[in-house]
This record gives sequence, structure tokens and C-alpha cells, in this order.
Amino acid sequence: MLISRRTIAALAAAMPFAARAQDLPAHERTLHEAARREGELTWYSGQYSAEHSEAVGRAFTARFPGVRCNVVRSTSQVAFQRLSQDMRAGAAQCDVFSSTDFGHYSLLKRENRLMQYRPENDAGLLPNLRRADPDGYYHTSFIGLYVMAHNTRRVPEADAPKKWTDVLDPKWRNQLAVGHPGFSGAIGIWAVQMRKMYTWDYFTRLERNRPMIGRSSLDPITALNAGERSVGIAVPSSSTSLSISRGNPLRLIYPEEGVLATVSPSAIPRNAPHPNAAKLFMEFTTSRFLSDAIRPLFGDPIHPATEPAPGARPVSELTLIAPTQAEAERGVPEVREAWRDTFGV
Amino acid sequence: MASDQVLPRTVTARTGWAARLRNLEPIMALWLCLALALAFLVAFPLIKLLIVSFETRDGVFTLQNYATAYGRQRYLDALFNSLKLGLLSASIATVIAVPMAWAVSRTDMPGKGFCWAMVMAAFVLPPYLGAIGWILLAGPNSGFLNVAWRFVTGAEDPLVNIYTFTGLATVIALHSFPLVFLFVKSALDLISSEMEDAANILGAGTIATMRRVTLPLAGPAIMGGFIIVFLETIALFGTPAIIGIPARINVVTTQLWQFFEHPVRMEVAAAYAMPLLLITVAMIGAQKLLLARKGFVSQTGKGGERREIKLGPWRWVMFAWCGGVGLFAVLLPVMVLIQASFAKAWGRGLSLDNLTLRNYRLLLFEHDMALTSVWNTIWFSAAAATIALIIALLVAYMVVRKLSRFGDALGFLAMAPFVIPGIIMAIGFYAAYASPPFAMYGTAALIILAFAARFLPIAYANANAAMRSVHPEMEEAVRILGGGRLKAIRFVTAPLVKRALLGGWLIVFIVATRELSAAVFLVGPRTRTMSVLLYDLSEAGNFEVLAAFGGILLVITMVFVAVGMKLAGRDFMLRRS
Repeated sequence: MLISRRTIAALAAAMPFAARAQDLPAHERTLHEAARREGELTWYSGQYSAEHSEAVGRAFTARFPGVRCNVVRSTSQVAFQRLSQDMRAGAAQCDVFSSTDFGHYSLLKRENRLMQYRPENDAGLLPNLRRADPDGYYHTSFIGLYVMAHNTRRVPEADAPKKWTDVLDPKWRNQLAVGHPGFSGAIGIWAVQMRKMYTWDYFTRLERNRPMIGRSSLDPITALNAGERSVGIAVPSSSTSLSISRGNPLRLIYPEEGVLATVSPSAIPRNAPHPNAAKLFMEFTTSRFLSDAIRPLFGDPIHPATEPAPGARPVSELTLIAPTQAEAERGVPEVREAWRDTFGV
Repeated sequence: MASDQVLPRTVTARTGWAARLRNLEPIMALWLCLALALAFLVAFPLIKLLIVSFETRDGVFTLQNYATAYGRQRYLDALFNSLKLGLLSASIATVIAVPMAWAVSRTDMPGKGFCWAMVMAAFVLPPYLGAIGWILLAGPNSGFLNVAWRFVTGAEDPLVNIYTFTGLATVIALHSFPLVFLFVKSALDLISSEMEDAANILGAGTIATMRRVTLPLAGPAIMGGFIIVFLETIALFGTPAIIGIPARINVVTTQLWQFFEHPVRMEVAAAYAMPLLLITVAMIGAQKLLLARKGFVSQTGKGGERREIKLGPWRWVMFAWCGGVGLFAVLLPVMVLIQASFAKAWGRGLSLDNLTLRNYRLLLFEHDMALTSVWNTIWFSAAAATIALIIALLVAYMVVRKLSRFGDALGFLAMAPFVIPGIIMAIGFYAAYASPPFAMYGTAALIILAFAARFLPIAYANANAAMRSVHPEMEEAVRILGGGRLKAIRFVTAPLVKRALLGGWLIVFIVATRELSAAVFLVGPRTRTMSVLLYDLSEAGNFEVLAAFGGILLVITMVFVAVGMKLAGRDFMLRRS
């Protein structure tokens, strides 16, 4: 019963998309055949939200029948923690590792934990997203735009904060919500960027406003939807837009200083148990089919063939801010500790 | 040691091992097997944890782990927070449960069946699910209770705030009070009315009698319940992670989790876990000391009548108390969870255009892991319950029938996990079995064995009680008529204890299905359980899907509870012997 229903659902989902073998480009066809023999892959997914990740996993299996994608979604630091636990125990369980904290990749590469593989489709990505690593150990699979948002019932548009620093005003006391750099990779990147722009003082002052601290960068959306808090800091534009489309009273705020952009890669661990399926998944993430799968859920496409999600501001019109990879690798562990000292958790 | 066990009746020439082996009674082999199993499940992970806490990553002796673990104010604060939280939760749970237990056991309060149902439901409801329900109920701005309060009174400030220390402690107490209730009620059930009559004759009223006679007699039970709730609380992971982080309260368990961040500092976690273990041992020791010099005998051979105390109009006050507890512990949280699970956006509240089945559809038909985790949970829990019960049964058989001089040692090991916080057990399992040569990380076996070890004491207590209820003379009859021990077990003992054991199996099964604090450290990508998936979903910014998954978990649990009631008697979960 369990199996048959799943199979039927999978078949039904596969019908419209399933590519016949001869439609696949040659390099994908070869990989597909090898991947079929492995049958599955396990994806530690910290970049896309749970809903987005599930959609990607389904679209992958629909395009490449016979290769199942086990989606293990968590926040990026939790995904990294699980990968570290695997490495410590010498267990090979992860085939593709995706984290918003791009500092993870220079670390893993230096520790010789990654497999060298550049997907052929990487050359078809948006021009500035190609060749994330010159040596080909990891490549772009995600662009996340982190903005602010407010509950329009609790705060009218005119009164809403406009800059990252506006939320430091004491009038926002007990009204803010934010994720946690110990869990969310994106919040770690954001904290490094804020520290770079405004020193750690930004967070000492933020603490005085008693923000509600979640774990994921998505947690503030829950708090805003409920009206528990009025303003969310560093929330992903995609999931917020999805929530708005479902009738929640939210509005995006593009901070004047710039939108935090995390261009984050994925990598295959050196000891991946299903290397061919992992490579095939990498080809998939860099093809237009990943971007097509996330677009209906307001995800930001990384492939030029996919139009931006309806209503989304084109990335080219935004000022983007982000720390460098070296700053991220060194900075995220630092801000995580500093955060815990400042906020107590 | 083996030679000690050669039974006296076998008088043979002791020539070498071959002869000795021949003299080995099968019971001895069984003892060895059980000792090995218990060493694997209980002793080795703990010993390994202790060793690791004194080692560097490369296995060199060091004290540095302890210095790191206690070298920061924040880490010490977490330890104190845990102690405070444990005491507060246990106190609240005791205040909630003792009047309930008294009312159900000793008085003519109406609605006892309802009261039982609420206690049972509070026991079955996973604590983290209750925590999520309470976020929806008592968030300071959006919680339904606070919205209603503001609407009715026009007040600015919230009535209750879940994101506080007391809020956290109360939510934990609302899900752990059944433990106190069970202890206290079964103690009160044994006190005969004559003792109360004596006080009444000497002029004491109902309240004075209760205060001076009845409750003191139940003292050990109250203390036992208090300690259990304390231990449960300091070992709890889910609720502190879900409520404690937004409330900015760090406790031992969330701190232990931090030590598992990259780079995984298992050695520091081990060192940090040690005081938790010491506190537990100290609590049990203190209980023994406090009770050692007093007499609490309420059961004598002289019958003793047990009458219900007539409360008059007060019985409605007691009923209101029990009803209130049921309302806050079960009915309200479950109601808001169900509402959220059928909502498009739970912030929009109750309205027809906000109703949807999308959340359930997503989980049942589209989600990659949801059904897998349901299946994992069911078969892991079933396997763990089976293993725990088989071991418990064999150990109980040896202990109760005094088949081996060293049987009691086995009994001690089987009960030991009772005082080991689950999260420490999990870290011990990770330290001992995750890496080669065992290389069990990510396997189903690791989780099943950890569950079996964790809930072994429940299985053992059940098996032991069941065994005691069967007098040896019935087995002896079989043996006199020429049947072997196995035959006696198969045709006499087993049928007699079957029902009790089924109840024990189901309890282990049900508590295993909601286990989080051990599972969260041991799951691999393909062995995720429902509780871990729920934990992952709780940070996905989508409470509707989370609530729907909670709904599925509740339905599954309810099915098994119903099966249990059918097969093992209505009160199988709450029976204590």
C-alpha cells in the first residue's frame, strides 16, 4: 500500500517531465545509466527551504527515472554538523552537500574532503555564477537574497524600517525576529557582513531590542505570519514571497545599503557512496531544470533560460552585498561564538 | 567465574575444560549471553564515554576536555539553568498531579474516567508537540490565549508568555505530571481508610487528615515522582530547543548539541555530560537516605477497607482542577495543532477560506521523507521493544527464580539506564559504536539498540512484575512430571504472563515512537525518525506542515494505544505493580 501509492505518485509526477533517454544530452545520458545502477543519492540540503528542496528532489527523479533523491533538509550548520559527524565516524552517507555558508567549501576543500568534478552544465549558468571554484571542487547551486520583511497589519508601510540599521532604533524593542548563526548558514553570512559594515556594536545594540531568535532564517516568517513579531531581519526573499502568495500579510523590504546575496555552491564528498548519481545531480542543479523547479515557489533561478519568479525584482536592479569566501570561512565561527556571548543562546 | 556455576549435583572428575563445559548448565550459558548483551547495551557505552572524556582525539590522556567544558561562564550558566529548570518543572508537576491523584484515588470526585483519559493523553503526547501547541497558544502577541485575553479585558500586556523560564518549565511540567500522578495514585490506592479514620476520630477534619496522614504516607511516592520529572526535564532536548532558543535560555542539552558542531568535540561533550550523571546518582542516593529511617508501611496483612472520602460540593472543585489540567495539557494544545494543520496560513485564524488539506497531501504524497520516517519510527520502535522485552524477560526470570548467584547483577544493569539521561546514552552510543570497528553510524541497528537500551528499565520493571505473579510451584509441577525448564516456560509461564508482557511491549513501543533526544544524535539520512523529522520541520518556517505531521504522529500513536487497550486492558499504560 505504502509503496504502491508512492510509486503511483512518482509515476504521475514523472509523466509530463520525464525525458526520454534520447532527449538527454550525451554526458547526462552516460551518467544517467551509471546512476541508475546506484539507484539513489542522498542530498544534505541546507540551501533551499524544505518545500523547495522537496520540489527539487521530485523534479530530479522525474527527469532521471530510476534515480531516487533522498532529501535531508535542515539548516546549513546542522547539515554541516551531520556531515562532520559522518566524517568523524568514518561513515560515508552524503552524496551531495549544499550549504548557504560558502565558507564551508574552502574548509572542506583544504581538508581534502571533496571530489573534483565540474559539471558540463556549469558553463550554461548565469555568467557571474560559473566556475565557483577554479579547481572544480564545488560549483554554484543556489542564490539566496536576504532582505527584511514586515507584517503589514502591525506596521504600516510608511513606518517600516528601510535600512539594516533602522532596526536598532529602540522603538522596535520586542518587535523583531531573526534566525541564529549557529543553525542558519545565511544568518552567519549576514552577521559577518553586518560586522564588516558596522562592527559588532550592531549586535550589541540589536540585543537591546530583544529580538526573538529562531534557528533558521525562515523562522521569522512564521513569527511574522502569526503577528507574533512585526519585522523580520535577514529573511529569504523567496520563501517570504511564497508566504505572501498564500495570503499572509507580509511585505518585503529591500534594505537601502543592499540586499545580502549568498551565492552558494554544492559539492560531492570524496567518499560519496553514489558518485555517479551525485554527478548527475550536479548536472541537474546547473541545468535549467533546477531553476524551473524552484521558480513556481518563488525561488531565484540561477540559469538564464528560466525567467525570474513573478513579481520578483530582477537581481540586476539590486545592490548586492556579501562577504568574500575567505571572510566567511574565518568569520562565521567567530560571529557564532560572539552571538552566543551577546544573546546568551 | 564459570566454574563457580557448576551445580553441586554434578559430581564428575574435574579434568580440564572439556569436562567443565559439559557440566555447564544451560542457565550459565544464558547468563553469559545476557551479561554480554547488557554489557553491550549499557555498560560499554558508559565506560567509553568516561574514557573519552579524559582523552584527546588521538587517545592521549588529558584533563583539557574538562577545562574546556567548564571554562566558560556560558557553559556553566547552561548547567545551572538545567538544574533550575528541573526543580521548577518537577515542583509544578507535583503541584498539578498530587491533588489529581488524591482526588482520583481517595474521593468521590465525578468524572474519574475523563481524568484518566487526560492523564493518559498527556503521557502519550510527545513533549515537543505540546511545546509547539503552546507556542500557538501562548505566544505573547499572537497566542490564542493572549489574543482572547486582550479582546476580553482590553489589556495591553499578555496574560501568559511562553518564551520565559516559567513558561518553559510549565510546558514541560504539563507533559511530565503523569509520572507523578502514577506514582502517587498507586501509593494512595494502598492506604486503607482506617488510618484516616483514626485521625478523624481524634478530631482531625478532611484537610488535616490529608495533610498529616495521607500525604505523608504517600511521601516516598511523591518524592519518587518528583525525582523522575526532574531527571526527565534535565535530559529533555526538544522543548528547550523549540521554546528555549527564542526565550534565550540555554540548557545542558542544547549546549551538548553545540559541542557536536564542526569540528565535532565529542570528548568535550563527554566531559560536559559527566555532572549530569553525577547529579542523577546523587538524587537517587538522597532519596534513599531521606527515606531510609522512616516507616511508610501502609499495607498490612489485616485487610483494611478503602472507602471514598465524601467531598460534598468540594468534589466539583476537584473536578474543575482535573478538568483544567486536562484542558491545558491536552485539549487546548491539540486543538490549536489540529487547526493549524488544516490551515493555509495559521495566522489567518479560523475561517472557511483558510481551510485546506494541502499540508496533509504534501506530507502523505509529495514529501520524500515523511512516509519513510513514519515507517522507520514504527519498525525501529517495534524492534527495540522486542529486544528490550526479550532481554528483560530473561533477566527477570533469572532474578525472580534465583537461577544464578549473579542474577542480581544483571537486574542492576537492566535498571541502570533508568537513571541515565537519554541524551548521554546517545552520546555514549556515538562514542562507542559510531566509528570502526563497529561502524554503526547511520544504520538502523544503532538506533534500535539505543532505544532498546534506553527503555530497558521499563521493560524490565514490567517483566519482573509479571514473573513475580507466577508462583514457581506451577513450573515445578511440570518438572516433576518430567518436563524440562523450557517446556515449563513454554506451556505454563509464557501463557500466564503473556498479557502483562504485551502491555509492557506497547509502552516501550509508544515511548520509543516519540523519542527525540537520543535519536537526534544518532540518525543518518536514511534512518530518520518522525521525531527528528518533526524537529527539522520545526525550523522550516512552516508551522502548518509541521502541525500536520504532528497530527499524523498523533493518529499513529492513538491507533497503537487503542490496540493496547483492546489487547492488554484499558489501563495498560498506567498500571504500576
